[in-house]
Amino acid sequence: MSTTWQPGRIEDETFVTVEGEHGPYGIYPPTEDMLNEPVDPEVSKAQEQRLRKAWAAPAGWRIISAVNNEFVGKWYCMTAFVFMLCAGVLALLMRVQLSVPENDFLDASTFNQFFTMHGSAMMFLFAVPMFEALSILLLPEILRARDMPFPRLSAFGYWCFLIGGIFVLSSVLFGVAPEGGWFMYPPLSTIDESIGPDIWLLGLSFIEVASIAAAVELIVGVIKCRPPGMRINLMPLYAWYVLVVGVMILFAFPPLIAGDFLFEMQRSFDWPFFDPERGGDPLLWQHLFWIFGHPEVYIVFLPSIALAAMIIPTAAQRPIVGYNWIVLSAVGVGFLSFGLWVHHMFTTGLPSLSLGFFSAASEAVVIPTGVQLFAFVATLMVGRVKMILPMLWIAGAMAVFTAGGLTGVMIALAPFDWQVHDTYFIVAHLHYTLFGGMIFPIVGGIYYYYPFFTKKMMSERLGKWSFWLSFTGFNICFLPMHWTGLAGMPRRVYTYPEGIGWDMANMISTVGAFITAAGVLVFAYDLLRSKKHQPRAPRNPWKAGTLEWADDPNDENWGVRSVPFVTSRYPLWDQPKLLERIDAGRYYLPDSQEGYRETIITSAVDARPQHVTRVTGPAWCTIWAAIFTGGAFIFPTFSWYVPAAISAAFAVVCVLYWLWTATAQVPVRPSQDVSLGLRLPLYVSGPKAPGWWAVFITMLGDATAFTSLIFGVFYYWTASPDFPPAGALHADAVWISGAAILYALSWAATRAARGVNRGGMQRLAQGLLIAAPLLAAAGGGAMCFSLMGMDPTSHAYPAIMWGLAVWTCAHTACGVIMQLYCLAGTFFGKLTSRYDADLWNTTLYWHFHGGSAIIAAAVIGWLPRVLS
Amino acid sequence: MSWPKILDRHQSLWFLITGPTLWALHFCTVYAMTAIYCEKLGDEAGPLRLGILGVTLGALVLIGITAWLSWRQWDYTDDWDYEHDGLTVEDRREFIGHAGFLLCVVSVIGVIYVALPAAFVGSCV
Repeated sequence: MSTTWQPGRIEDETFVTVEGEHGPYGIYPPTEDMLNEPVDPEVSKAQEQRLRKAWAAPAGWRIISAVNNEFVGKWYCMTAFVFMLCAGVLALLMRVQLSVPENDFLDASTFNQFFTMHGSAMMFLFAVPMFEALSILLLPEILRARDMPFPRLSAFGYWCFLIGGIFVLSSVLFGVAPEGGWFMYPPLSTIDESIGPDIWLLGLSFIEVASIAAAVELIVGVIKCRPPGMRINLMPLYAWYVLVVGVMILFAFPPLIAGDFLFEMQRSFDWPFFDPERGGDPLLWQHLFWIFGHPEVYIVFLPSIALAAMIIPTAAQRPIVGYNWIVLSAVGVGFLSFGLWVHHMFTTGLPSLSLGFFSAASEAVVIPTGVQLFAFVATLMVGRVKMILPMLWIAGAMAVFTAGGLTGVMIALAPFDWQVHDTYFIVAHLHYTLFGGMIFPIVGGIYYYYPFFTKKMMSERLGKWSFWLSFTGFNICFLPMHWTGLAGMPRRVYTYPEGIGWDMANMISTVGAFITAAGVLVFAYDLLRSKKHQPRAPRNPWKAGTLEWADDPNDENWGVRSVPFVTSRYPLWDQPKLLERIDAGRYYLPDSQEGYRETIITSAVDARPQHVTRVTGPAWCTIWAAIFTGGAFIFPTFSWYVPAAISAAFAVVCVLYWLWTATAQVPVRPSQDVSLGLRLPLYVSGPKAPGWWAVFITMLGDATAFTSLIFGVFYYWTASPDFPPAGALHADAVWISGAAILYALSWAATRAARGVNRGGMQRLAQGLLIAAPLLAAAGGGAMCFSLMGMDPTSHAYPAIMWGLAVWTCAHTACGVIMQLYCLAGTFFGKLTSRYDADLWNTTLYWHFHGGSAIIAAAVIGWLPRVLS
Repeated sequence: MSWPKILDRHQSLWFLITGPTLWALHFCTVYAMTAIYCEKLGDEAGPLRLGILGVTLGALVLIGITAWLSWRQWDYTDDWDYEHDGLTVEDRREFIGHAGFLLCVVSVIGVIYVALPAAFVGSCV
């Protein structure tokens, strides 16, 4: 094997020499001769033993400290599935209540709690987490990476989800669940005196944070963890969808988090953001909610359709037709779906011209959405379809989703929507899109991937029973609802009088709901029944062409024996010796020389090998961090602010411990042999490092939340005749200008520290890193001080200015911790002039925070003076 | 002078999404113009509609330029390559061009759709 230190060819057009031993060097791409050279079986055995040791799962009950994607992904899926069953039970109870007129099975309050919880749980505890769970499980396998880039982050996200989900869902058992519907409109929910809305706001914000964490992880996974050779044009469609959906989460969830922040400030401290008496506007919540809420529908739909994009080529036994068109479809939907949010607000009295724009955009999104369905049909038409069981579910999904899409086209037209707004027609429409666009494809996907997860097959017979029960039951339940809605029955009523023509349709729907439930139960039984006596499923039972089916047949935890060099979209069909070479350890990274868990990082577009990253292993600190973060979100529900603050402090400590002990460790030597004549660096910083990308992506999401707050300011200005109110006190001009300058200096000091540290002047860098946090803290102080004269409870204007200041200062606190973390790193040898990833990441954070703090200062100090 | 990699349209994903990004900017501009005009300046929408026409034409021109550049990058008439499923640099370059071109087509349709209400609706109310 070549381990020469000669600078070698790394790509057709580039040579790598500049970085010396700190950069990749050797031969790339591998030649056919190199790949044909056999591996010595003795060497291979020794390698396997080392890998097995490095990837060993903790034994016994300690298994809960595992962070490997296979464990966390399975727990995540099962938890989301259980939450789905709970939400389904709520639906059945509601259907019992509605089966006959004037029923008293549930009282109004319980019914309200049930429909609120049913919607909230299905959306926040099932639909989005299920995508993340499946992707955490599947994505590394589809890309043949050893693991996700940040396994502990997935584990942290999972524990947050579990804690938050149990907290939110259990409220219904104590009769204190929120009652305002899954979109929590003020003023109904702001004046509600129970703790229901607080549980909703804080519990779900907590889960949204976990969702964003998972999105960051998945995006970095797609961009940086592809196998060598898998250029962007060879990427499996599932990865395309994950990328698009991850980015959508990043832009869709933050407006809701910003909205939750304002909402909770109003409920806890009486800052009147949504109170029209004091200059607020309840419609602002609707805007923020639906800027999240409509993309959310597509966030739920696209990953499920991604499963279809994996199953259909397998069923048709040929490559997908129109790969480019499907990429167009995924990316196009990702964009257009952000232009639809007002179609949920057609009845709120916006200018008719505005309604027109959103109506038109709602019609336009049909085009990219439809394109992918046509591509699927085309693939099925030109292939020789084997009607495998998963394909049955996908076929059902396409039928049901198309029906839901057609009613969607109808209600995207404002005049039609005015007739059916908030009736059962809407309930029917949304269930058609969600069952067809989410439930059926997911179940199909689980049938498809079950042998991959467990090496056993699910039952063909039970699967057919389950499908036909669910499919007919679903249509019996929801098809009549179109009619019930057109007959005038509003949604969310807990009962209705006899003899106004709704009785029969409701009874039929209830019967259908129970038939659907029977189908789901058959599925659940098939999923969970013991399959001990069943034979092992063959490797690649459906004869698929994508890499996840190259999984190790011996239940090893290492993910893949060696990371393949990929030259095709369907490697298992087109690269005949691939499996044999993977298993023999012929490809990259067949060994774990020092007992670390490692995976290969490649470049974003062309997937050239760049770096061997050491991923984190089992840990308790992630669980503790999740528990304390949970405390920080859950205690304020009961107005226990001191325990919440203590809990938050502990969460920070746990996260710091986790980062300090496990991330960006200085390696013993700069690079490592990854086989096939290539050596890769063990440490990279800046845009080559996965951590830098994670910060960049997180901050994009964070900037979106900040933009939503700024949108709030402009919204108040356009929507109310006097904003800021005449004669209102403004922020102190001197203090707020000082804040902007101090922030700019802190930002500059951080950036300068990175430069001089790289240049070897570490003392100067330390000096800058001492000055930077002081300047930042002074900036935050000055910003708050400038607002001292303004009472946030008096009017929405001072409230939103204070809101911006609180938001900025919270970020400053985080930025200061990061600066101090780097400073400590320079003293303890964790951060040197060569190994400076932490400082790159901190600087990147400050590019966003410094910029947003200055914008915040301008909006607080300068803008109101111009507007008034 | 060599361009930084991120500005090289042959290997940068950012050029893939230029078309839809222009759609998004057009959408936000038209939405903001209408919201502000209708709240602050009155119900008769004549000047607003002219403004929307201008913004729309501008967006269409920019998307058209993007589409033309993507079409050249796809280089379809050179080898009639449609699938781009090979492992070469050319496959990747043409793929980004092809997908970018298709996204421009969707963006043009999107921009025209969004602007159409202004062709028919004469007032804010």
